[in-house]
Amino acid sequence: MNYSSKIIENAVKALSGFPGIGTRSALRMVVFLLKRPKEEVNQLAESLMLLKTTLKSCRVCHNISDEEVCNICKSPNRNHRQLCVVEDMQDVMAIENTAQFNGLYHVLGGVIAPMDGVGPDSLNINSLVTRIENGHFEEVIIALNPNVEGDTTTFYIARKLKTASVQISTISKGISIGSELEFADEITLGKSISLRVPYQV
Amino acid sequence: MRINNLSIYQFKNHKDFKIDLNTDISCITGKNGQGKTNLLDAIFMLSACKSYFNAIDYQLILHGESSAALNAEFYNGQQLDIQLIIEQGKKKKLKLNGKQYDKLIHHIGLINVVIITPDDIELIKGNSDERRKFIDLMISQTDRVYLNHLSEYHKLLDQRNRQLKLFADHQHFDSIILESFNERMLAPCEYIHQKRQTVLKEIQAAFKQYYRSFQSGSEEVVLKYESALNSDSFEILLKSSLNKDLAIQRTSVGIHKDDILFEINGYPLKKFGSQGQNKSFIIALKLAQYHFLAETVKQSPILLLDDIFEKIDEERAEKLIHLISQESFGQIIITDTHAERMRKYFENINKSTKFVEL
Repeated sequence: MNYSSKIIENAVKALSGFPGIGTRSALRMVVFLLKRPKEEVNQLAESLMLLKTTLKSCRVCHNISDEEVCNICKSPNRNHRQLCVVEDMQDVMAIENTAQFNGLYHVLGGVIAPMDGVGPDSLNINSLVTRIENGHFEEVIIALNPNVEGDTTTFYIARKLKTASVQISTISKGISIGSELEFADEITLGKSISLRVPYQV
Repeated sequence: MRINNLSIYQFKNHKDFKIDLNTDISCITGKNGQGKTNLLDAIFMLSACKSYFNAIDYQLILHGESSAALNAEFYNGQQLDIQLIIEQGKKKKLKLNGKQYDKLIHHIGLINVVIITPDDIELIKGNSDERRKFIDLMISQTDRVYLNHLSEYHKLLDQRNRQLKLFADHQHFDSIILESFNERMLAPCEYIHQKRQTVLKEIQAAFKQYYRSFQSGSEEVVLKYESALNSDSFEILLKSSLNKDLAIQRTSVGIHKDDILFEINGYPLKKFGSQGQNKSFIIALKLAQYHFLAETVKQSPILLLDDIFEKIDEERAEKLIHLISQESFGQIIITDTHAERMRKYFENINKSTKFVEL
């Protein structure tokens, strides 16, 4: 595409680097911004800058945080005996949205994938082990994605925590609620049969 | 299973090509280089989601173009419109009745075909991966669990091998991470081994019988499954090969090392088979595959014969024609360079037959 201005071209280039945004959408965003009042654009720029300058990762759980220790870790209202291990901050948000879990989190920052050069040392696994050894946790829930890398990482963590006196569980796998069995893929349906749960009346 | 028509767009040497295939037997003739084999490969691709001949997808696109498309109407009791789109730099897209598959492997097993081509001599002459590819495709067409285990096993194997390299690069060893891969590989590996063993046993009788119908001698042929897992469990094998794996920086045991030994009178066919015996062996093996698929899924696959009559003598040809014109065989698509020969062989068969010249 030919742009009449280098400044616009640069802005489009920068925005089209976002996931899911192509040059056309980027151009629409640029044109939109041009039409907005200056203060509003300033505010946007500022809030973006703050992401990089002020935002921290929690020293305890590695979740994204405005302070040294995040609100969840600090909260006296949460169950400090339950810990949920997740891959990244988006997973924390997803689980928080369920309102079904009131324990603490530990964000790994990825999963073990040698093909992508990610080993246990580049993840927050050592800090997890230390946290369990020094804390008063009763249960660790490993909530990673049910794929090859996620499952490998789950096994690795469970092995690392074998000697700690804490109960380890993983999130259950199966049919999504409101769906229909006949449309479920064989793996999921097979797993939900083999991992069936007792039904009590 | 039947294919009613096929259209090919910018695929290999076809610019835009359409053909009706709604007879029991279609004989497609033409000179070399007209794209006869490519036509069969197009049908194979709509079944297996990959070419029988080229491993690299973008090389399948007509030279100078950026995309290719295959469309065909199949019938297995209901109409199945299958469309495959290959675009440069993108993932292949496959649609069934207009709906795109999330994952290509979900399609495997819906359309079953068996292809016999002169290139199949590689099954005898080539490396063990040719033979593993053969048995993997055959089983995958009938067993979704096998296919999933196979894909998972290979993902884990890649990760494990990379990890072994990383240990060497960083001069650091972590037994737990290796254990994490090992543990996850056990179930897929045992399943695949078990299944390969069972299926090879199952096709043995049909294979021998087919071989015997092409070859009149008294030689004994056998398909022998060679695998370290025949004698030890994968867990034990991994343990005992740990030092070797660390030294060579890859996984030295597992079903990715299996082989099927083709033997004639107890000796390797590769070294001791005559040309005639080799041809009989391959055709018998492929017909055994056909038999297995037909029995397992209770539906005759589509049989694709690529330039076979060029390569075998008249006696074998007549036996093959006699076999495949039986009731138990379904639709057959044949390519050949000689229109005359095809008419002579297939004109008097008691099946609907059509002759097309490219």
